[in-house]
Amino acid sequence: MDFILAGFVEAIRLLLGGDGQTWSAVAATLKASSGSMAASLTLGIPLGFALGYLDFPAKRQVRLLVDTALALPTVFIGLVVYAFISNRGPLGEMGLLFTLTGIAIGQTILALPVVIALSATAVESMDRHLRTLLISLGASRRQLLFSSLWEVRYGVLAAGLTAYGRVMTEVGISMMVGGNIKWHTRTITTAIALETGKGMFSTGIALGLVLIAIAFGVNVCLSFLRNK
Amino acid sequence: MKAPQPIYRIENLVHRYNGDPVLAVDHLDIEPASIMGLVGPNGSGKSTLLKLMAFIFRPTHGRILFDGKPALPFDESVRFQVTLLTQDPYLMKRTAFKNIAYGLKVRGNREDWTRPVNDALAMVGLDPDIFSRRQWDELSGGEAQRVALAARLVLKPRVLLLDEPTASVDAASSELIRTASLRARSEWGTTLVIASHDRQWLYDVCDEVIHLFKGKPTGTGSSNMVFGPWVPEENGLFAKPLGDGIRFTVSKPPNADATAFIDPAAIRIIDSAEASALANIVFVDGTVSRIASEKQSGNLFADVRVGSLTLVVRVDESHLAAMTLHRGWPVTLAYRPDSIRWL
Repeated sequence: MDFILAGFVEAIRLLLGGDGQTWSAVAATLKASSGSMAASLTLGIPLGFALGYLDFPAKRQVRLLVDTALALPTVFIGLVVYAFISNRGPLGEMGLLFTLTGIAIGQTILALPVVIALSATAVESMDRHLRTLLISLGASRRQLLFSSLWEVRYGVLAAGLTAYGRVMTEVGISMMVGGNIKWHTRTITTAIALETGKGMFSTGIALGLVLIAIAFGVNVCLSFLRNK
Repeated sequence: MKAPQPIYRIENLVHRYNGDPVLAVDHLDIEPASIMGLVGPNGSGKSTLLKLMAFIFRPTHGRILFDGKPALPFDESVRFQVTLLTQDPYLMKRTAFKNIAYGLKVRGNREDWTRPVNDALAMVGLDPDIFSRRQWDELSGGEAQRVALAARLVLKPRVLLLDEPTASVDAASSELIRTASLRARSEWGTTLVIASHDRQWLYDVCDEVIHLFKGKPTGTGSSNMVFGPWVPEENGLFAKPLGDGIRFTVSKPPNADATAFIDPAAIRIIDSAEASALANIVFVDGTVSRIASEKQSGNLFADVRVGSLTLVVRVDESHLAAMTLHRGWPVTLAYRPDSIRWL
């Protein structure tokens, strides 16, 4: 048990002492996840709204596909993205393999179904009287869209938070597409996997604490917004 | 002198839900600054008609002219002119102030909203200092409905459509909602269209009351509708049991579940002694529950409770004086079974 306790003590020292490798992994994680969350929210919220709000042919089939994509294994996404951006792949010339951009693309594919499905569910649960209310108060089509989204903001926030949780904690995409390159594409989760394999518990614990702190910080922000 | 152009003209309007017709109005004009009432049982098409008039959705067929021009949802010609208050007190998830100011915001009004919002709250009997900061979920049902009405009144609309606005609130809120709605007409010349089950209120305040049944207008003014099922009697007539052995007797209906429509003028209040001298007449005993005049015609009407049914009966004034009718008075009603129309 002593090595776990010693690991915690060393972890605190690494974090407070500004250990370069540790903070490099934190920075890589934040950069990749910020990019993937920006892309998945930008694409996913309008698509989720459309899926929940509009009636169109094959809506049920589309919903089934999105729900199935919720369970996509990260290693499978990693494999597909790797195949596309490796030298032999159709996007090989773009030089995205073993870059944070490559990781962000994979994480976007991971997060997008979560944002779409949960936003659509939030919109579907919207009160049927809201449309009548907004139109009868004079809302234009655009105002109807944005005011409706604002009414389901908590559901959309929950969708974003859930997607962020998946993105922050995935290993498969970062490992396969990023290559776990020190100082470059090594993220918190790939670093934890590597350091644990090497028996370096302190670095793993330090990074784990950062991950938990980030999750806590995001939830505090959301809780603050919810109460506003 | 040229007659004023109707604010609404409805032409050959048909609306269907999933292919099933729910509303069919061939022609209907509504004059500016008038008050029109809509009565009818649940499912008669009142709410659908009001939503179509509020341009919430397009009719399946036909058209609605507003100020003489055909209009559709989101048209600039109607977007800021018409507003609808629904039966359920629905508010957005924000404060009462923001709910009321929403309509001003979408109109691009950049002035300070405090004064108009406070005035609207005061108009519906809510203290602005207390209620403007309340969240939507900190209001009772009656308060929420009054905030919802304030959100319409703040717009000083040309047309205010009210769909059973007092159905889910208590008596005090109900009175405040009624008073505030009527003030809109008297202060700004707002045209009011009100759907309500409170027929007496409508007869008191409306310039015209239209009856809807199964999606179609069936007439104007006071009326009685009696729903089936009808059971055969020994004398070739049919009847609807009304409890306590009382029956409402009719001629042969087209089917067992048909709806009987009887004009209040076709029912007379008679002396019990008079009853034996009349032939081909059906008699039924009841109790007077209310006497009121109809604004539209000026006629006097009595509501007479007959078992579980309330019938509206037209009373001529000489009759009223002779019989000293008042609330709680037992009376005998007489009518001819063949005076009933079937719907």
